[in-house]
Amino acid sequence: MSNPFADIVWARIDGPAKSWLDRAWPSAEEAQTSVRFRASFAGVTRRLRGVEVTGDDIASLTDAGVIGAADWRIDRVARVALLSQVLVAVSFEEHAAFVRQVYLRGDYKEQAAVLASLSFLPGPERYLDLAIDACRTNVLDVFEGIACDNAYPAAHFPEANFNQMVLKAIFMEVSVGRVAGLAQRATAELSRMATDFGDERRAAGRSVPDDVALIVGLDAA
Amino acid sequence: MKMFDHHIHMTSRTTTDYQNMADAGIVAIIEPAFWLGQPRTHVGSFEDYFLSLVGWERFRARQFGIHHFCTIGLNPKETNNPDVADGVMELLPIYLEKESCVGVGEIGFDDQTPEETRLFEAQMQLAVDFDLPVLIHTPHRDKKAGTIRTIDLVKASGIEPGRVLIDHNNEETLAATLDSGCWAGHSIYPHTKMDEGRMAALVQQYGTERITINSAADWGVSDPLKVPKTVTAMREAGISEGDIKTVVWDNPVAFFGQSGRLDLGDDGGRPSIDQSQLWEGNSVLRGQEAVIEPAE
Ligand SMILES: [Zn+2]
Repeated sequence: MSNPFADIVWARIDGPAKSWLDRAWPSAEEAQTSVRFRASFAGVTRRLRGVEVTGDDIASLTDAGVIGAADWRIDRVARVALLSQVLVAVSFEEHAAFVRQVYLRGDYKEQAAVLASLSFLPGPERYLDLAIDACRTNVLDVFEGIACDNAYPAAHFPEANFNQMVLKAIFMEVSVGRVAGLAQRATAELSRMATDFGDERRAAGRSVPDDVALIVGLDAA
Repeated sequence: MKMFDHHIHMTSRTTTDYQNMADAGIVAIIEPAFWLGQPRTHVGSFEDYFLSLVGWERFRARQFGIHHFCTIGLNPKETNNPDVADGVMELLPIYLEKESCVGVGEIGFDDQTPEETRLFEAQMQLAVDFDLPVLIHTPHRDKKAGTIRTIDLVKASGIEPGRVLIDHNNEETLAATLDSGCWAGHSIYPHTKMDEGRMAALVQQYGTERITINSAADWGVSDPLKVPKTVTAMREAGISEGDIKTVVWDNPVAFFGQSGRLDLGDDGGRPSIDQSQLWEGNSVLRGQEAVIEPAE
């Protein structure tokens, strides 16, 4: 089965990067050990250093449903490709546990790549706990991985978790304009939370981020 | 002057240390995996420690405009713990692949036991397999003999000596380390190891080739500002600005640059600081105004 992420990576690499991926690429028949896979997943950035994605690739990623594809680098594309591929030989019931281990043991770029891949894996609703847990991170890169340009939260989060994520984005000064599907998920409750936050900031003599008005405005619209 | 402290255990330090280090001119650091003062009883504790070295600590450093890298290895003391040693060895290949891991280390001898020798050799082989430079700790007790044994083991490993940095040198070990072709690190430490004035004298005697300094600051009595303080001592001793820069910047960059992973940004300068990346109670910034500076 063709996978747009894998197609891009294989088309762009040659030389040592290709021989590395030939060795690292998970077999469709025999499940790779978690340890072996995690080493490959970690090694992607440096093994594929210097490989560039093209304008055509960005168009293909966009067609495949990637939001903000222009920001994707080869390491992100390759990690989504590897994760999709390794799961082919992992039994369906064990997917969530496997992906969770890869996520927990990743550095922040790896974690962000796992989060970006969730919508593209089979049975994405099974990753809800992982995605909600990711919102608790203290590391900006990881938080952006789930909250920004990612269709997953709007598609799967319950209202309370979605609202918490949006509010946390304001706290972290991550533009809520980058939260995919925000307009569709805006509710009176989210508007109330944003309003309360604005009041709290004013009471403390602090400035109110512009995104507060943006969220309140969404509910009115 | 831009400075590189290539051996410091920031996990044990505070944000005040980070701020003072940045103010004193430290732009990049390496945090070698080491022993935490108290023995670990589970392999999983090592894994979480390695994860913090490639994740959280890196993020913390960046908020003060400091590039953070690490070296990964099983420290000499804990090679003697059969409950964890082999389990940790199995984890190393994953963490040696991490983008911010620029070497194997710190490894070497502590009590110079057979187990230490076995896993020191095994980790030298990992360095060859992963094409990474090595940071080697030398023992506090029986130091001179331990350093000679270290050099013999390095030679037997087949690794190119120019890819090995033997650390914690003093007046008694430096000549042998330099003769071996390895790089020679010096940990400037209160009371023990090496002090600022002695270090300046060593640079005057031996020159700057393959010589580096670091603070080795950790959870004990130590000082994360020893690199800038030694810069001052070298200046007072009349050592030229060019030579000082070689010791505190060019040399560690050249040595760890051999990993191919020492990404210091396009201009090799300070990373941009954005403390607004922090928030609320979890933040390392608790209620102060955020500092936002562009990259230099
Ligand atoms: Zn150390």
